[in-house]
Amino acid sequence: MPSFSHFLSTFGETKGVFIDAMILTLKLTVVSVLLGIIIGLFFALLKISNFKVLGWISDAYVFLVRGTPLIVQIFILYFGLSGIFLIPDFWAAALALAFHNGAYISEIFRGSIQSIDQGQMEAGRSLGMTQSLAMRRIILPQAFRRALPPLGNQFIIGLKDSSLAAFISMNELFNVATTLGSNNFDEMTYLLIVAIYYLILVALLTLAVNVLEKKLAKSDR
Amino acid sequence: MMKKNILLFISILFLISILSACAEKDKLADGSELVNKDEFVFAASGEFAPFSYMTNDMKMKGFDVEVGNAVAKEMGLKPVPKRLKFKGIVEGVKTGRADAAVASHTINPLRSKHVAFTTPYYYSGPQIFTRPDSKIKTADDLKGKEVAVAKGSTYADVAGKHTSNLKMYDSDITALKALDGGRHDAVITDFVTGKTARKEGFKIEGRQLIERSEQAIVIPKDNPKLVKRVNDALENLRKDGTLKKISMKYFGEDITTKPE
Repeated sequence: MPSFSHFLSTFGETKGVFIDAMILTLKLTVVSVLLGIIIGLFFALLKISNFKVLGWISDAYVFLVRGTPLIVQIFILYFGLSGIFLIPDFWAAALALAFHNGAYISEIFRGSIQSIDQGQMEAGRSLGMTQSLAMRRIILPQAFRRALPPLGNQFIIGLKDSSLAAFISMNELFNVATTLGSNNFDEMTYLLIVAIYYLILVALLTLAVNVLEKKLAKSDR
Repeated sequence: MMKKNILLFISILFLISILSACAEKDKLADGSELVNKDEFVFAASGEFAPFSYMTNDMKMKGFDVEVGNAVAKEMGLKPVPKRLKFKGIVEGVKTGRADAAVASHTINPLRSKHVAFTTPYYYSGPQIFTRPDSKIKTADDLKGKEVAVAKGSTYADVAGKHTSNLKMYDSDITALKALDGGRHDAVITDFVTGKTARKEGFKIEGRQLIERSEQAIVIPKDNPKLVKRVNDALENLRKDGTLKKISMKYFGEDITTKPE
């Protein structure tokens, strides 16, 4: 283990590079989780639709994503898709992560939508709303509030999964840590430093989710 | 129900349009193709000091990178070095992630099936490295010994001819570091890499130089015009002494001319 003073001085010296890397990690996470929420909502709605074929499409997507490791998906999107159309490095990584997060998020949404009492839909329908209007105005707002805690959890998982983008040349936190570590023959110091940065990010995310939850809970009263 | 059909139709249309859109590279007047028309994007691993390595502010430097820069400038293009894991570089060049790889790739028949090579920009060879107290002297002594090499390098094949006990590492430097730390019996890697590691304070010694190898720039097979352009650039750089100058800076000797 490195000495504490060595750790502190290295931490100070490498602040610049690590903060750049932290920004990239945060960008990757935010873009991929937000895209994942859109993808997830889309597939959750397919899944609960009355139209069976749409449900199968959603099932197939979830099966594909949950059935293969994230690193395999990233490599396929990065190397495989470029033969069809060339997406920039950042977007290859962000799309792979979004595609991955989307499957888990679709299950979160499906669960929370199905947890809303049937009577809510019936009440909306009896007021003359169409099914889709009742879905948008009554079911989804309630479902979203229930989905928030698991969504926050998925955000944190997504943040840590973004470290796998290191393998497709993204200079995000983990890549910077291992590169500097092997440069200076001092892996442990840099791994400890990068752990601190991840903890800071996760703490900030947790805080943000808590604030959002409190805000949405107000309308319950 | 109508709405859902439309939704399904749109999503299928969207998928088809994504799948049919083709990755078009920019075509230049002489028929060569580049990812971006003003840039020469070349890949290196950044894990193969002193050929390519990362500085502490995450910039890639080294002999390969300087050669790539010089080639780009000679062709009148902006050099864009790009870092890719060594085992992914050939795939990256094939799939258009980079125009070329200036990454110390040794010319060999297996690689030639998948990608095109330019003329060699340096000459080297795999060498056996051991700890100073080792009795291993030549390749024949490697029989049954544990030899560490970098994944995806040609040294794995070289080592495989002499022993079946191979250990794979992500990079040559980690393999040498493990050797220095008391693991494995030997490492087979480029003689320049080993020499540099020794200078860095690794407790290792070079033994037999197994064979001679030629290192060249890797370019996709479907881009022969670019091969010609890079070859012309390399020839100019050889003639005006630029390659020699870069070599002297890094190694104190000229490794860019064919040894007698």
